[in-house]
Amino acid sequence: MLDLSSFNHLQLDAIREVGNIGTGNAATALSELLSCMIEMDVPKADLVSVYSLSEYYGDPDALVAAVFVRSLGEFGCSLIFLQNEEDAALMVDLLLQAQFGGSPPGELQQDMLDSALTEVGNIILSSFLNAINMLIGTRHQISVPGVARDMLASILDVVAAIFGQMGDMALVVNTELRVGGAEENKRRITGNIIMLPDPSALELLLRKLQVL
Amino acid sequence: MENAYHVGMADLIVVSAPAKLITLGLGSCIGLVIFDSAAKIAGMAHIMLPDSRGNKTAEKIGKFADTAVPTVIEEMIKKGAAKARMKAKIAGGAQMFALADASTDFLSVGSRNVKETTAMLTRAGVPLVASDTGGNKGRTVEFSTTTWMLTIKTLGKGKTEI
Repeated sequence: MLDLSSFNHLQLDAIREVGNIGTGNAATALSELLSCMIEMDVPKADLVSVYSLSEYYGDPDALVAAVFVRSLGEFGCSLIFLQNEEDAALMVDLLLQAQFGGSPPGELQQDMLDSALTEVGNIILSSFLNAINMLIGTRHQISVPGVARDMLASILDVVAAIFGQMGDMALVVNTELRVGGAEENKRRITGNIIMLPDPSALELLLRKLQVL
Repeated sequence: MENAYHVGMADLIVVSAPAKLITLGLGSCIGLVIFDSAAKIAGMAHIMLPDSRGNKTAEKIGKFADTAVPTVIEEMIKKGAAKARMKAKIAGGAQMFALADASTDFLSVGSRNVKETTAMLTRAGVPLVASDTGGNKGRTVEFSTTTWMLTIKTLGKGKTEI
């Protein structure tokens, strides 16, 4: 079985590049969804032990929103899109503006907002995953998304427990998106994608990239 | 002055009073406390998964219910606690992501954690005197060896003591 400490530089770089490609595709999809320009930084991608995930993201008590999907197929993995509450609210705002042309229909209920957020998360994660599957030539099916709003530590606790059943490491990709047109109106939205490949999927990925 | 100990993911800590045992953000995991108030000894484990069967990487004893429960009891006895006086409290085991998909059986790990932890306590003969489990919200827990109470913080619900 693969273990975090045994990864060489070439393999880590290959995995980072996969994170970049996936995020690029996700940003494109988001840009189409919101019908506006989106700029993104080169994402930071890292392999992190699931036990230290919460230290990696900071304040354990911070309120975050998370969207979760599970991918089945040759490249089996779990994906989580994680944002702090303000960024998530901003993202939903932008989506509703795009849909309703700047005048959202009055006060929306929490479950409607959750639903909008779930859809954004779903589109981001699906396009992230599509890019990877296209890159390595695999087919996949994606589950219906789930959403949770809670303390950062408890979300990551679930992530670790899900993944802990299969392995000890996660691929995390962080990026900041700048949404909007003119420089002064640009809104910054930060989002984190956490990909938890099944151990067999991680092996497959490295083999297809010819670094194993 | 009570010393505060943070019990990290899959960790297991046994202390003598006065002390505070804290675990931040339990999602599907279980915060297990076993205490002997006469010997003034308490132990906490942050249990991630129900059982270690078929898992070769059992280097983290606190990770699994079936290894964590006996180990906390053993460590407490080493410090001078008596098994007959031990009592247990648990919190956690939430299911935070609800997916309408049968293939996501592994998401119900929370309820399996509760079941296995309870079963292990029964097998060890340690009575479970209080619990706050299930639901879909994360919990932060703090156990004080001054009051022998477990304080549970949940977002939007505030504090409860068990």
